[in-house]
Amino acid sequence: MRLRLRGGAAKMVHMSLYALQKLIRDVNRKPACREAFFQSAEKFAAGYDLAQPEREALIKRDVGALYAMGVHGLLLRPFTLLHKMPEPDYLKAIRGE
Amino acid sequence: MPITFACATSHAPGITAWAEAAPAPQKDRIYGGFERLRQALDESRTDTLIVLTSEHWTNFFLDHIGAFCIGRAERYTGPVEPWLQIPRAEIKGDPALAAELLETCYDNSVEPSFAYELEFDHGTMLPLHFLMPRMDRPIVPVFFNTLAAPQPSPSRALALGRVVGEVARRSQRRIGLIATGGLSHDPGERNHGIIDSDFDHRFMTAMAQGNCEALGRYQRSELAAAGAGAFELLSWIALAGALDGRKGEVVVYEPVKPWATGVGMMTFGLAA
Repeated sequence: MRLRLRGGAAKMVHMSLYALQKLIRDVNRKPACREAFFQSAEKFAAGYDLAQPEREALIKRDVGALYAMGVHGLLLRPFTLLHKMPEPDYLKAIRGE
Repeated sequence: MPITFACATSHAPGITAWAEAAPAPQKDRIYGGFERLRQALDESRTDTLIVLTSEHWTNFFLDHIGAFCIGRAERYTGPVEPWLQIPRAEIKGDPALAAELLETCYDNSVEPSFAYELEFDHGTMLPLHFLMPRMDRPIVPVFFNTLAAPQPSPSRALALGRVVGEVARRSQRRIGLIATGGLSHDPGERNHGIIDSDFDHRFMTAMAQGNCEALGRYQRSELAAAGAGAFELLSWIALAGALDGRKGEVVVYEPVKPWATGVGMMTFGLAA
């Protein structure tokens, strides 16, 4: 059965969601950022203007929460691949199962 | 000069990256479809290609999103994905044709952005790998924003495509067109793995009929309902606009579960 599309969160990008997605894209695409993030996610995230729940979800690698906050699937899935997260686990997380 | 070659094809990364995950008969039919397109392109003696395509946060990000972007570079490289099982290559650009395309767009109330530096991901490299393995023709890439809402509407994709067709037809050179993306798929999203074959068949029927009116009537919400990746079909719709009613034929369609994509290819008559 087809699941409902994400609502406003995915369509409306407020500034901290923009910063969160920027951080994730930087980690995905820039080797130096990736290295810094894996050394200390907390320290790396301090360089981005995130809301507190976003910062916590990121540091805990709470994929379901990051998705619900509106992180684009084609940013989030490559990010989870860097963490070697298998596809079934990823889908369970974003489907809230 | 009539448009010498025109095709549309999916570019699911699984086609090369995890090719063997697909059932062998499906994979064989898809690889056979690519081979048919490659032969047709070679026989068409096309000089240069305009590639209507999309990308996956490779060049563009939310710091600056445009609806359409035309590449003006002298050369491009790709793919950016080391896991794609496609060798990195350099592809020549065609800045003169890109400039003409841009100027004609702006003369016709369609205003794409443009870029002198672009990298290609699987969205562009996968079809080129199969259709032009020697990477021996220059290309002009035309990117569609398929990722960040609001995406351009199908009617605007048609309008852009009509200009592409006009520029190709009035050229003294032999210009071919490739559209790439789709069909139904929802990569990285909650409906990943769900393929909407009914949607895919309806869409390809409209493409085969050259039915620009029906294609222009698609709503963003209808594309979104077929999965986030279905926005890539804006490039197919632009191709229909460029071909201005030319009829097409489905080369292959396979709903490939392990690639999580309705994989389709079409070809649209060839000039002598």
